[in-house]
Amino acid sequence: MPDPDAEHNLQTLLLEGRPEFWDGLKLRTREAADFSELFQLSSLRKKAEARQLPKRGAVHKKTRLALLGGYSLYPLHELVGHLGDTEGTPCELWLGDFDNYISEIMDEESGLYGFEPQVVLLLPAEHRCKYTGALSDSREAQRAEAGRVVDSLLELARKIHTKTHAEVIMTNFMLPARRDLGAYRSRTLGSDWSFRKWVNLELGFKAPPYLHICDLEFLAARHGGISARDERAWFESKQPCSAALLPDVAREVVHLIQNLRRAPKKVLVLDLDNTLWGGVVADDGMDGIEIGDTSPRGEAFKAFQKYIATLKQRGTLLAVASKNDHAVAAEVFEKHPEMVLRLNDIVSFKANWEPKSDNLRQMAAELNLGLDSFVFVDDNPAEIEIVRQFAPEVATILLGPDPSEYVGQLQDCRFFEPRSITSEDAGRTSQYRSESQRQALLAVAADMDAYLESLGMEGSICEFTPVDVPRVSQLINKSNQFNLTTRRRSEADLTVLMTDPAYVGFSVRLRDRFGDHGLISVMIGRQEGETMHIDTWLMSCRVLKRQVEDEVLNELARLARSRDCTRLEGIYRPTPKNGMVREFYLKMGFNLVYRDETSTRYELPIEHYQPRPTRIKIVRRAYEPI
Amino acid sequence: MNQSEVLAKLQTVFDNVFLEPVALTPALTAKDVPEWDSLTHISLLVSVEKAFSVRFRVGEVEQTRNVGEFADLIVKRMQER
Repeated sequence: MPDPDAEHNLQTLLLEGRPEFWDGLKLRTREAADFSELFQLSSLRKKAEARQLPKRGAVHKKTRLALLGGYSLYPLHELVGHLGDTEGTPCELWLGDFDNYISEIMDEESGLYGFEPQVVLLLPAEHRCKYTGALSDSREAQRAEAGRVVDSLLELARKIHTKTHAEVIMTNFMLPARRDLGAYRSRTLGSDWSFRKWVNLELGFKAPPYLHICDLEFLAARHGGISARDERAWFESKQPCSAALLPDVAREVVHLIQNLRRAPKKVLVLDLDNTLWGGVVADDGMDGIEIGDTSPRGEAFKAFQKYIATLKQRGTLLAVASKNDHAVAAEVFEKHPEMVLRLNDIVSFKANWEPKSDNLRQMAAELNLGLDSFVFVDDNPAEIEIVRQFAPEVATILLGPDPSEYVGQLQDCRFFEPRSITSEDAGRTSQYRSESQRQALLAVAADMDAYLESLGMEGSICEFTPVDVPRVSQLINKSNQFNLTTRRRSEADLTVLMTDPAYVGFSVRLRDRFGDHGLISVMIGRQEGETMHIDTWLMSCRVLKRQVEDEVLNELARLARSRDCTRLEGIYRPTPKNGMVREFYLKMGFNLVYRDETSTRYELPIEHYQPRPTRIKIVRRAYEPI
Repeated sequence: MNQSEVLAKLQTVFDNVFLEPVALTPALTAKDVPEWDSLTHISLLVSVEKAFSVRFRVGEVEQTRNVGEFADLIVKRMQER
């Protein structure tokens, strides 16, 4: 229910012209449970915009989003527009006509293409996802028809993407929730229920990287199948679902749009007492804490640890921040037989009496990661509050009072959703653990050069290849610190770039005697006559001070000269996070050409370029046969 | 609730949905309000049904010719509960 007081407060803030209105609006929008509340908040937003109530913070560029499908796209577009706006992803919208999507997509002169969308949301009509023959037809005939439905949907997406390079978000199909056919529904592919389920699965499995599924089947099941639909809303105004489900669909769409340019969180930081086990180890002793299969509560904590272990397997780094004596806390991990998580699962273990916000900052420095890639979990509201206040970049999860609900809370947090799973994700913990071993070696090595020599580094440079695209895109979208231009690119953007002869693009992998760092640096150059413009230069901070940047410059100079370029031109575009590379080009021997508030340009003549000496052995170079 | 009580409550729903203030009278029609198009209408109905805890039958709101008749319909559906 909309809270009348909160409504009143927002109204007051608006009438008084106070910019706090926007913070309140964002908060209320996040909490809004139903359609009419969201719609009212959207009206308030439009009133505030009409009054030109000033907004604080960054102004975000609008994403051009086209909506089309077999339904009326109003008021879905209203909700998408509102949620996008309050969540920092404002959209400029283009709406297709009711059930006109096939011709809008097939006709190259249509308004869809005139709009030049960056993202297209397509809601294909449910009535076209139906087996047209008899329930008793052969399984093969039914399967073939489902396959044709999937292929025609994939073809629509392909057509949009080829023509516009847009990312495509497509809803799949809700399953029927009525009892029609009874238990027989699952014994034939001819029923709407199994046919749509089959189409949904095949669509998801076959979707190319530019196609993102908005899983309506899942959203409706989560919401409740009966109330997800509203026949009257279909007859009267051609709605895709009930007004009750519409906010869930809109939220999912905005979430998917945000995922296009945002990486998942990397580190999960865990409290210990009453988070990983029941009780307080300092008071109850290792024998007194609740963990394991001897009590329902102990089982719940163990299940939570098991789920956390699966997150680690998916590539999330685990860390501990606990108010405890280090030895007492560590002993549980070393010796308690029922613990699922062990010390070698944890990349950073901070059990001490410092404020947790300080511990988080220290972890970020040690692991060379931004605080905004951290998620902190605690059962104690006071600890959560300290982190919110003193390390506001960190996302926080306050666990509820019942440990049996911990797993669900983490599963619903949406911070760790994989985009495309790369095998390097799974090996990440060992990479970061070897990073601490390398730090130890650095402490004893007499000088930097001897240290680098002792690492036995091998670098492998490779032009962009289709198989590397997910990893390259991931690095492009998550690198903030060592990133000269911070230009984000999706997998689809990269695929397009690879076919453009003006561009050179390569990535670097590095390994040393402690392990494989994987793909850690990306360079994109764009040739214009005799100049090679450095469009993108970024590097994972795990390999700072390892001379990777020198080898990247060597390689770019080599490629540029082979294409008859005489100079490199680089720009630095400042962001709140990339201060570490402000003077980078000067350090690399470039000359300053031009500076203004938004960027600084540098150049390097390369007719007489001498490769920079490094301790990295390059075992492969870009655009060369292996 | 009678028609005038419904109208009073309806006024608050309209205030939340429309950007410009709309003064409700029984004779008012959608044509009199520039913002009140078929699209805003969908959102308006969801809000009305929620505020009065009623559910209209398919097509019947379309049959009402002005706000007064609409309020009468709300009264009728409320009496059925």
